[in-house]
Amino acid sequence: MVTKEEVMKIAILSKLFVAEDEIDKLTKDMGEIISFADTINNAADEGSKFDNINNLSNVLREDEVVPSLDREKILQNAKDSDDGCFMVKNIMK
Amino acid sequence: MSESKIVQLHESLVKKEISCRELTEKYIGAIEKDNAELNAYVTVTADEALKTAEAVDKKIASGEEIALLEGIPMTLKDNISTDGIRTTCCSKILEDYVPIYDATVWDILKKQNAVLLGKTNMDEFAMGSSCETSYFGGAKNPHNTGHVAGGSSGGVASAVGGNIAVYGLGSDTGGSIRQPASFCGIVGLKPTYGAVSRFGLIAYASSLDQIGPITTNVEDAAIVFDAIAQYDKMDSTSRGRQGSPVYDSLKNDIKGMKIGIAKEYLEGIRDDVRQAVEDAAKVYQSLGAEIVYFDLPSLKYALPVYYIIACAEASSNLGRYDGIRYGYKAENYKDLNDMVKKTRSTGFGEEVKRRILLGTYVLSSGYYDAYYKKAQNLRGTIVKAFKDAFESCDVILAPTVPMTAFENGHAVSDPVETYLTDICTVPVNICGLPGVSVPCGFNAKGMPIGMQLIGNTFGEAKILNAAWQYENAANQFRAAGFGVKL
Repeated sequence: MVTKEEVMKIAILSKLFVAEDEIDKLTKDMGEIISFADTINNAADEGSKFDNINNLSNVLREDEVVPSLDREKILQNAKDSDDGCFMVKNIMK
Repeated sequence: MSESKIVQLHESLVKKEISCRELTEKYIGAIEKDNAELNAYVTVTADEALKTAEAVDKKIASGEEIALLEGIPMTLKDNISTDGIRTTCCSKILEDYVPIYDATVWDILKKQNAVLLGKTNMDEFAMGSSCETSYFGGAKNPHNTGHVAGGSSGGVASAVGGNIAVYGLGSDTGGSIRQPASFCGIVGLKPTYGAVSRFGLIAYASSLDQIGPITTNVEDAAIVFDAIAQYDKMDSTSRGRQGSPVYDSLKNDIKGMKIGIAKEYLEGIRDDVRQAVEDAAKVYQSLGAEIVYFDLPSLKYALPVYYIIACAEASSNLGRYDGIRYGYKAENYKDLNDMVKKTRSTGFGEEVKRRILLGTYVLSSGYYDAYYKKAQNLRGTIVKAFKDAFESCDVILAPTVPMTAFENGHAVSDPVETYLTDICTVPVNICGLPGVSVPCGFNAKGMPIGMQLIGNTFGEAKILNAAWQYENAANQFRAAGFGVKL
C-alpha cells in the first residue's frame, strides 16, 4: 500500500509539486503500479547478481585535450544568462 | 530485382532516372499532404533536405560515386540530437531546445549525405506505448488512422509505414522500435546493447536504451544497421558491430537453423497474433529450419523488473531538467527551489511524472532493497535464462506485441494495463539482446501483426538472416494508402 503521505514525500525528493486535486488519483495509480512491482518479491532468490549489460568494465583511454563546446552557443539555450554565466535567483541573502 | 527500397532508389539516382532534388520534393510534398492526418512529424526540415539533395545531385552529375544511403530521404526520432535543429523529446520542457552538437548516429549519416526530412513524433521522453503521451498529440497508424501508430517511436513508424520517409531511426528502451514497427506493419530492429552509439540520444534509461532502424523491409534494416553500428569513443558502453557486415550473410540458407519457441511467450496472446506466429513457424519448417521448444519461467518477472529499473534510471536521468541551462523555465517563483519545482511540475507530462515518482520511490531509503536491488538480481536471473536458451537454439521466435494497434485514446486510461502490453519486448532490453520485428500477417480488421526474432548478444546477422528468409518466402508487407507513389 502506498499512502498519500508517502507520495507527498516522494514528490519532494523528485522536486515535483503534486496538486491537491491530483493526489488521490496519483496515490491510487502509484499503489497499483507498486503492487504490480511487488510481484518480483514472489521470485525465489537464485543468488543471481547483475553487474553490467555488455561485459564492459573500466573503459580507459588516454586523456587528450580536444576542442570543447563554445560557451556562447551553450548559453543560447538558457532562458537567463549574464556575463558568460547561467543566471538563477539569488540563493543567499 | 531487390526488395530493398534503399537499393532501388539508389539505383534510380545513379542511373539518373530521378534527381535527388525531385525525389526529396516528392517526399516533402507527401509530408505536406499527409502529415496533418498522420501527425508523424513534429518538425519538418525541408530547406536543409533540399540543400543536401542538391549536393548529392552535383556529385552524381560530376560522375562521383555515391554511397548507398546518400540522397535517401529519411527521418529521426525527436530524441536524437541534431545540431541546429530543434529536438524536443515531444515534451513541453524541451519544446524550444536546439542542440549544439549531433548525435553520433546522425553525424555518421549526415557525412553520407542522408536527406533528413524532419524529426518525428514520440511518447514524451520515450515513455509510453501509444505515442499519445507526446506533447504534440499522438502519431496515427497509416493502416487505419483511428488506431495509434504505437510507441514510443510512433512518429518514425507512422512516417515509414505511411511512406513519408524511406527509413528512420528510433530508440528502443522496452520495445519502442519493435512495437510501433509491429503496429504499422513494417520492420524494426533493436540492436545489441552497445552495438550502436547512444551519444546524443536524450536518455530515458541508460542501461536499456538503444538506437536502431525502422524500415519497410529486412534488407533496408541490414543496410542501415551496418552503417550506424560503429564503435564510438563518446559512449563508454559502445562496442560497435562485432564481425562482418550483417548484409553479407543476409540471404544465407537457413536449413538446419534452430528456431526456439518458449510457451511463456505465447500465453495471454490474442488468438489472431498467436496464429500468425505459429504460421510463421511453419514457414520456417518449410525452409528447412528446426523448431525447438523450451521453457522460460523467469519471463513472468520481466515486466516488473523492467519498470523498476527503467523508472529508477529515468528518475536520475531526468533530474537534469531544472529550467536553468536549457528548456522551459517556469515564471513567477519565489526562490530557486520553487522555480525548479514549478518548471518540472508544469514542464513534464503526467506519465513522465508518474515514472519519476515511481523511480524515486524504488530508489528511496527503506525500499531500495525490496525493489531496485531485487530487480537487479532478477535481471541477472533473466540474463542467465536467455543465455541457457541459446545453448539449444540459434534464434528465438515470439510475438512482438500480444495484440494489434490500440484504438486512439485506449492506452491512456489505465497505466498498469498499458504496461502489460510490453511483455514480449522488454526481456530483450533487460538482457541487452538484439531483436527484430517483422510483419507476419493482418487480423480480420486489416491491422498488421508482427513477429519478433531474438538473437544472442551481437547476433544481429542471424536474426536478420532468419527475418530475410521469412520475408522472401512469405512477405507480409502491404503499402498503406499514404505517402509517395513512385
